[in-house]
Amino acid sequence: MSNKKYWTSLDELNQTPAYFEQANQEFSLVEDATESIENKEPNRRDFLKAMGFSVSVAAVASACQIPVKNAIPYTFDLRNQMPEVVPGVAEFFATTYYGSADFNSILVKTREGRPIKVEGNPSAKFFGGTSARAQAAVLDLYDVTRLHNPVKANKKIDWKKADAEIIKKLDELKASGQKVVVVTNTILSTITKKAIEQLKTTYANVSVVAYDPISQYAIRKASGGIIPAYQFDKADVIVGFNCDFLGTWMNGTENAAKYVTKRVPTPENPTMSRHHQFQSSMSLTGASADYKYPIKPSEEKQVLINLYTKLGGSVSGAKDFSNKELNTGIDKVAKELVAAKGKSIVVSGTNDVEIQSLVNAINATLSNFGATIDTSNTLNFKQGNDEALATLASELKNGAYKGIILVGANPVYDTVYAETFKNALQKADLSISTADRVDESAQYCQYVAPNSHLLESWDVIEPRTNVYGFVQPTITALFDTRQESASILTWAGNVNVAIDSLVQAEIASVSGLSYSEALQAGFVDKTSGIGASALPGISTITTPTQPKGMELFLYEKVAIGDGKLANNPFLQEMPDPISKATWDNYILVPYSFAKENKIDSMPADKKVPVGKITVAGKSFELPIVVQFGQAQNTLAIALGYGREKSGNVGSGVGANLYPILKNNTNSVDGVTFELTGKTYNLGLNQTYHTLMEDVSLPGKPLRYRGMVVKETNLASYSKSETAGNEDREAIQKHLVTMYPTPKFPGHHWGMLVDMNACIGCGACVVACNIENNIPVVGRRQVFRSQEMHWLRIDRYYNGNPDNPDVSFQPMMCQHCDNAPCENVCPVNATNHSSEGINQMAYNRCIGTRYCANNCPFKVRRFNWLDYQGNDMFGSFNDGTPGWGGSETKDYMFDSLTRMVLNPDVVVRTRGVIEKCSFCTQRIQSSKLDAKKQNRKLQDGDVKTACQTACPTNAIVFGDMNDKNSQVAQTLDSGRNYFLFEEQHFLNHVGYQVKIRNKDEESQRSFFDKEG
Amino acid sequence: MFNSYIKRSYSLLVSFFLIFVISTSSYAGVAVPDVDPADAAAVAKAKTGMDLFKANCTACHAIDRKVIGPALADVWDKWDTEENLIAWVKNSQAVIKSGHAHANKIYEEYNKMPMPAFPTLSDEQVKDVFLYMKAAEKGFDPSNPGGKKETADAAGGATTEGADSGKSNTTLILVGLFAVLAILGAVLFNITSKLSKIAKVAQGESLDAIEAVEAASKKALVKKLGVVAVIIAAVLLLFNIGNGAINLGRSQGYKPEQPIRFSHALHVGQNKIECQYCHTGVEKSRHASIPGTQICMNCHKYVQEGPKYGKDEIKKIYDYSGWDPDKGAFVKAPKNIEWVQIHNLPDHVYFNHSQHVKVGKIECQTCHGKIEEMETVEQFAPLSMGWCINCHRETKVQFADNNYYSVFEKYHDEIKKGKRAGVTVEDIGGTECQKCHY
Repeated sequence: MSNKKYWTSLDELNQTPAYFEQANQEFSLVEDATESIENKEPNRRDFLKAMGFSVSVAAVASACQIPVKNAIPYTFDLRNQMPEVVPGVAEFFATTYYGSADFNSILVKTREGRPIKVEGNPSAKFFGGTSARAQAAVLDLYDVTRLHNPVKANKKIDWKKADAEIIKKLDELKASGQKVVVVTNTILSTITKKAIEQLKTTYANVSVVAYDPISQYAIRKASGGIIPAYQFDKADVIVGFNCDFLGTWMNGTENAAKYVTKRVPTPENPTMSRHHQFQSSMSLTGASADYKYPIKPSEEKQVLINLYTKLGGSVSGAKDFSNKELNTGIDKVAKELVAAKGKSIVVSGTNDVEIQSLVNAINATLSNFGATIDTSNTLNFKQGNDEALATLASELKNGAYKGIILVGANPVYDTVYAETFKNALQKADLSISTADRVDESAQYCQYVAPNSHLLESWDVIEPRTNVYGFVQPTITALFDTRQESASILTWAGNVNVAIDSLVQAEIASVSGLSYSEALQAGFVDKTSGIGASALPGISTITTPTQPKGMELFLYEKVAIGDGKLANNPFLQEMPDPISKATWDNYILVPYSFAKENKIDSMPADKKVPVGKITVAGKSFELPIVVQFGQAQNTLAIALGYGREKSGNVGSGVGANLYPILKNNTNSVDGVTFELTGKTYNLGLNQTYHTLMEDVSLPGKPLRYRGMVVKETNLASYSKSETAGNEDREAIQKHLVTMYPTPKFPGHHWGMLVDMNACIGCGACVVACNIENNIPVVGRRQVFRSQEMHWLRIDRYYNGNPDNPDVSFQPMMCQHCDNAPCENVCPVNATNHSSEGINQMAYNRCIGTRYCANNCPFKVRRFNWLDYQGNDMFGSFNDGTPGWGGSETKDYMFDSLTRMVLNPDVVVRTRGVIEKCSFCTQRIQSSKLDAKKQNRKLQDGDVKTACQTACPTNAIVFGDMNDKNSQVAQTLDSGRNYFLFEEQHFLNHVGYQVKIRNKDEESQRSFFDKEG
Repeated sequence: MFNSYIKRSYSLLVSFFLIFVISTSSYAGVAVPDVDPADAAAVAKAKTGMDLFKANCTACHAIDRKVIGPALADVWDKWDTEENLIAWVKNSQAVIKSGHAHANKIYEEYNKMPMPAFPTLSDEQVKDVFLYMKAAEKGFDPSNPGGKKETADAAGGATTEGADSGKSNTTLILVGLFAVLAILGAVLFNITSKLSKIAKVAQGESLDAIEAVEAASKKALVKKLGVVAVIIAAVLLLFNIGNGAINLGRSQGYKPEQPIRFSHALHVGQNKIECQYCHTGVEKSRHASIPGTQICMNCHKYVQEGPKYGKDEIKKIYDYSGWDPDKGAFVKAPKNIEWVQIHNLPDHVYFNHSQHVKVGKIECQTCHGKIEEMETVEQFAPLSMGWCINCHRETKVQFADNNYYSVFEKYHDEIKKGKRAGVTVEDIGGTECQKCHY
């Protein structure tokens, strides 16, 4: 047991009475948390109404026949080829999920032809993990906001007519010598690229400008046009500078999968890579780092200059910081980098050419190119050119372009040139958007030629040179939409183009695989070796300028990213891994700043203060969240919010910060901040619904945390396998009971979570939501502590609040064999199975919630409202602010959206407790397959949704009775422990002690200092 | 002129002769021996033939009548040699291509619908099938060479009937006995009360006073009985309401009218089409699956008239499937047949057909009743949770035959040691909530 003090929120850190009061409540103390749908006192009329209703329902129920249901056979059109579909049996298609910074080789599970779940593609190895965004992709497909047909001036038009008109206009523009520009974001599709080339060939007056909302153009500019591929599985020392390479930077899944190969020590090989992170605000990547250094955005260049100088590089301007800890940190990093020459990576996510040039110079000095950094199989993400965008904007102002074609780009929303684009689009002779909805830019276009969703498309994706992902449709296009490449090819004169045959030819030329092989694999990796070509030398480095006023750091959130996915409610409701907030962007302020401004406590009603920042004449009012480990005098706000035209879910959520994204760098200075005195109901997680806390009064040490989050450092682990877990032996000795130990004759399911492998990315949370039909509840309900997630990732801080260590702990039902919830249920709705599963029979549950009250892990969720509309006469949210403030309230009520529901899992009615079932439907189905094939169930046959989603394999599930299973073997490891084991719950989700690669206890605990 | 006449009659003669020769020699018929019930080897061969026939032929053929393919009873006289008939069974297309006259005639007659080839059957197996067919024509059942089955059935029927009547007899006797005792009691009570009255009068009490007391006690008794009756009525009422409430949503015996008067009695009972032929998912999926028109049309492209409703009902299939019988082609997109669902499980119940049929080897009839006798399908079982649970308690799993169950080492040990006769579904957790509710 660790003596460290852990905390999850401000109030817990300060141990305020309010914290203790609410931590010990079963449900939140938020003023309206217990308010029912009708917040009125019942009166005589209500009584009569209810009475009348009951009587009539009773009469109807007793008098009527059961309603007639129809059984519709699965009918095929015999004029076509018969598909090989067995109704009720899932089919999997290998395809690819991609975005401007994402690439995942995935398997899409379809039932009766509808895609319902995304799984990682195990054969794609490092590319086969998933992110939260990839998991949520199925819901984008069923987005009700998507256009159902091509549109001209807000009126429906058919494709033939639209194409004819567009081609005529293009011909006219060509004839009159007017210029046409195709504006795109990063295009990973080789098909779309070729289509645009063909358009340029047909129309010589067409030019192309690519930009990225959140740009990494500086890397390309500093590296001679390429973005080298950083191989984190080859590095012993990793130094990151404001680079969220495990999350939002680019290629997060591959990076995370490779990174984690060096982050899990074993007794045989007790080594791990060391990770230093210099960061302005706490990021997902920073949370996993061993050493963290909070730096202001303006200090990054100075740090790099100092580091490069210490490594022997010739650059002027080295200057020690007044912060001594930072200086010693740079010394330490330099020393370790020299020791790990050719086995280290220095990487920065700042879009600044000088910084990227310094990073390249440092990597060159350390001979990392060709060793840990690949310059031949380079990354194709982030192809945007900031200079070209700026030039385009000035040309558009002059009216240089009479035709504008937006291909997947939304510049009116996500560039600083919003006004310019808006005016240009309105004035242009021809303006087209291929957006799948009428978004901020498309609303000013004459034509919207809606693109199909990627699950409806054919494509070849090249995320890295020599790495290809193949995209095949998993469903026929739901609406009358067309792939953007097909649209462009049509306009280029290639009428009636068959994209699938183009893709077939492309697959043959790029992969050498046969068509069917390629579609079955979904992926091919043809990289060999690591390229070591020299990058351009270091450019002139100017002296870092002193910032004016406060600095504002602009970042991407793991779920929402640059804002394209804002209409996905699963992503909106996924708690941010670090801040644990949902449905909003907000001003992150450092702890020291919060103390100065006396906003360092969370009011008991969870209403957070609202701050107002002003920068470059623009003001934003946003709620305030205190972020531990954020650099002094620095504020941080997420981009990707404040969409106006994203749809029923994402419109009006948060504020749009793109208008201040000067030169596409991720920070601005000269920011003024003031408190407005207003408060805001923010949907914050983990300030409640957390593990039970000691009931004692404030001032007493927090007893349990050290038993919940166990950690140690690598040095101690290499000496003893049980480091950090020493108390377990004593605990186990004391586990004497007079009751018989439960026996499990067949299977005994168990799960293990490796806290070293878990990076907190949240893919498992979304995967669990989709697999188990978990409803989206909206911001208001999250604020009322009524979110329904069965699986949450607890985030704990420890150490210095200005620079704490972070631990992630995925928390789901622990399936205790001596479960405290089971023996308090008055109707035995929750009980234990002979396979060790804590079962929940929803239809037996009468909603007393005793079990939730008695659960020490707080993993039981009560569905107060009918979130999916399965047994309601109307909407539960009428007239109340729900759904993140947007006007449309009922998300899952739509029959299109409900196509995403898993038919093997029941949609729970209102008023029952629900919780993790260990994906019982998957266990049952795997057992059935084994029985049908007359064989034993093998280890790995059953994989839970969270397990398959995890890009770093942090979750292992299996039969503990099978001595050869991975679970059974890891159970004996010295790192394994169970939460509250001393209470003899016999829980069966084991956690592996978190190991940090630290030399010594360098950061003395905050509490130790005080006491 | 004359010459030509001679020539013509000559050729006529020749052709008559040829016809005669052909009809006598090439259509000499196939000789298949009858099965002697006493000859065990022959019976065994016929039994093999029967199994093969049922597995491979009954989807399209019956012995005594035309189904999809021709009736097979008189096939012996239509074919020239046994070799050709065997070849025809094994690969009809080859025989047609070889130009065999009768083969081509049949092919034309049946709209050029080819019979599937059976290359895996050996000649001997085909001969066994012939043996069975011949025997079946004569009403001989090789699985019961002595013809004992019917008597066994009758006996079985009798036993069950006997048991039933025995049960009702006991009830009758008990009721009778109770009635006799009740009458006896009443008579005795009457006698004692009269006697005590006489005794009291003898002791000098006035008869009027005695009768007044009696009347009062009678009144009290009636009052008491009234209260008891009210309580009994209330209990009965509550019991009925309770039962009624439990039965809400259950619909045993539900027999709705369907959009097409499809008869299982005809298709399964008479034509002996296997259930799986149409309900294709039953061994693969949670759904047995109701067949789409694509499956109906496998046969009904050719079977255009039914025995009961003629062309009316089959025409409906054509409408649904988009088939034009005149053109012999699908001309429209199919429409969905909106069958009325009979077996409705609540949403919170997960039921998997393949688990029960493929793994548990449960007969369809166990839950669906005698489907093969149902003209219109009705719900046979109550489909209540108690009904499911009871079966799970009583039914033994295929414990020794399925390797999956080797995981239950404890039970295998117990079986070895003789401590356990078998393993029921309940023993392996089949009555736990989350086996069906998730």
